[in-house]
Amino acid sequence: METLVFQGLVGLSVSMYLWLLAAGLTIVFGVLGVLNFAHGSLFMLGAYFTFTYYGLWGVNFWLAIALSLLSVAVVGYFMERFFLRHIYHLDHAYQLLLTFGFILIFDDAAKMIWGGVAKIPAMPSFFEGTVSVVGRPFPFYNLFIIGTGLAVAIVVWLLFEKTWWGKMVRASASDREMASAIGVNIPTLFTGVFVFGAMLAALGGALGTPVRVVAPGIGAAMIIQAFIITVIGGLGNLKGAFVGAIIVGTLSAYGILLFPVFELFLIFLIMAVVLMVKPQGLFGG
Amino acid sequence: MSGSKKISRRELLKAATVAGIGGMTLGLSKVGEAASPKEKPPAQTKSTKKILGVDVIKLGGQGVISGAHADYGWQIQAGAVLAIDEINAKGGILGSKLELKFMDEELKPAVAVKNARYLATDWGAHLLFGVDSSGSAMAVGPILPELDRICMFDHASTHRLTEELVYGKGIKQIFRIAAPVYQESNLAALIFKDFPNIKRWAGIHCDYEYGYSVWALFKDTLKKYRPDVEFVSIAWAPFWTMDFSSHISAVMAAKPDGIIATPWAGEGVMLLRQALMLGVFDNIQAWFQCMGASVDILEGISNEVAAGKFKDKLWATARYIHNYPDTPENNKFVASFRKRWNRFPNYSAENAYSTIYVFKAALEKCRSLKTSDLIKAMEGLKIMTPAGERFFRPEDHQAIYNVPGGRVVKDPNYPIPVLGDLKVFPAQAYYRNPPFEPLAMAK
Repeated sequence: METLVFQGLVGLSVSMYLWLLAAGLTIVFGVLGVLNFAHGSLFMLGAYFTFTYYGLWGVNFWLAIALSLLSVAVVGYFMERFFLRHIYHLDHAYQLLLTFGFILIFDDAAKMIWGGVAKIPAMPSFFEGTVSVVGRPFPFYNLFIIGTGLAVAIVVWLLFEKTWWGKMVRASASDREMASAIGVNIPTLFTGVFVFGAMLAALGGALGTPVRVVAPGIGAAMIIQAFIITVIGGLGNLKGAFVGAIIVGTLSAYGILLFPVFELFLIFLIMAVVLMVKPQGLFGG
Repeated sequence: MSGSKKISRRELLKAATVAGIGGMTLGLSKVGEAASPKEKPPAQTKSTKKILGVDVIKLGGQGVISGAHADYGWQIQAGAVLAIDEINAKGGILGSKLELKFMDEELKPAVAVKNARYLATDWGAHLLFGVDSSGSAMAVGPILPELDRICMFDHASTHRLTEELVYGKGIKQIFRIAAPVYQESNLAALIFKDFPNIKRWAGIHCDYEYGYSVWALFKDTLKKYRPDVEFVSIAWAPFWTMDFSSHISAVMAAKPDGIIATPWAGEGVMLLRQALMLGVFDNIQAWFQCMGASVDILEGISNEVAAGKFKDKLWATARYIHNYPDTPENNKFVASFRKRWNRFPNYSAENAYSTIYVFKAALEKCRSLKTSDLIKAMEGLKIMTPAGERFFRPEDHQAIYNVPGGRVVKDPNYPIPVLGDLKVFPAQAYYRNPPFEPLAMAK
């Protein structure tokens, strides 16, 4: 039992990176109707920018994360303003092509700027140490990640449910023309939503910098998991992304513990079951 | 997507990589320049004076030069370029200069096969070498007879390459200069048989060919010496595992005394860092990081080793370590490599460097570029290399030489951690020998 509790907690910490990634993906899809294949690349850029500020330039870790979010926000702004905006009216296939193109561009850019070799900065010393959970040492950093993930979930929920901006976003998501007619500036709003989603992905990447591999290609590797999560939870549904991330993260952890031989297959199995029972996802409307 | 389109995209990526790396550091850009001489049209002027009949001997190499494992491809290029420049500076081989083209195998067997075909057929490589991933090696090996080229494998380490493809199926075009998985599996078993208190072993292994063979051989050999040991837990991690926490906590739940782990390069560094975060080194007696003595891992865990965080419980080996053997050949190689690239050579670099010198020795011996002549010249070849004397066993074309295992320690003579407390065993003690007993290998 203790083993299961501990493994679940480890899985939960892994889930939080996935949640930060899936949140932006699902928000952008829900509001803009764009399935952004390159969303994982924004996660990667978040990690690379943090590596640059913190690992190379020696900027304070927190400041480095903040700067990294701003940097990715700028990238996201350009992506939306000058590229995606022109294809909203087109078929999903075009969006897929364009955003897949962005994966290649970002990966190659990362290779040009940071080199192909994995970047591994020193661990910030204040994160060292463990806390005892069911008698076993649990990393303080993972606890911090869980806390951050939950905090982001609350903030995002408040933002969409309780603020004027959130109401405008929801209104535009359900009826673009009506929202426009009552004076919502749709193009600006969409840019804002896209940038917000990009920053969530960047936060996930940034937080992983000291403990996870940063290399060209992680974006494409991560986006598959994010898609699985949104399929399980329901595309465009924020609650679904949160629950889906926790399902994928913790079940992989339990899979590794209990069924090491077919752990990889487990997640796909769950996705298949969800698709069969509830094709629109657990929380899909 | 058509085949030609695919290649042109890869060419683009390659050019981008080279340019990008070039932008990063001066040293790396040298690899780039030497590695992409394709822009210059190869010298075609016919010269009848050359013994080998060509002005330029073309060497087609490949390795992984992008992603978490990219340092290996870099090291292969760096080692090969160093040897090629040394040889060209002295007039080449029998009057012919050497030219290198290096491609990214991306750890994908299909890409490696396509590269090999391109290098041999379109680009006209006379000799092939490289390949990092075992899966890629097992895919490239069988097409070599058709390409009529030798490939010197200088990293991919599955025992099946030489045992099954060369010894079993007789694909004579395959040679391997690097120590195969015997190095980290059987040697580890020999080292740890002498630790009577380590009875419960767990594994965290790569979820592909490499991890399967190491775990199978390690268990098999250790069990022969120590019937009392138990293998209590195993976790498998595929390529692109970014977070090993779940794997580590899963095997720690079985309370092992020792852990043997295969994830390599950047993934190996992250695995060790995450193990430290999970307090693993307070609760085990030994951790054997198979290729942990590779330079990129030693650099990556340098701070942690200096701070004593591994509590002297971290062990490792490699397919060559720069502080062994203490011979003039090795000292010269390490000094030239450091001078040229401002880094220590890892085993891929030494293996690639020696590959070029093995080609030189074989070409000088048979004075021919014909694959069948070269095979004869290389079978049974003995050659002094930085890693020591290598002997190419004729039965399986595997180079025999020994590399020690040891504890990862800080040494005041080196800027990065090194292996200390070296456990040296002769290669014969831990290499498998023909006829190879079949090995049950499963995930």
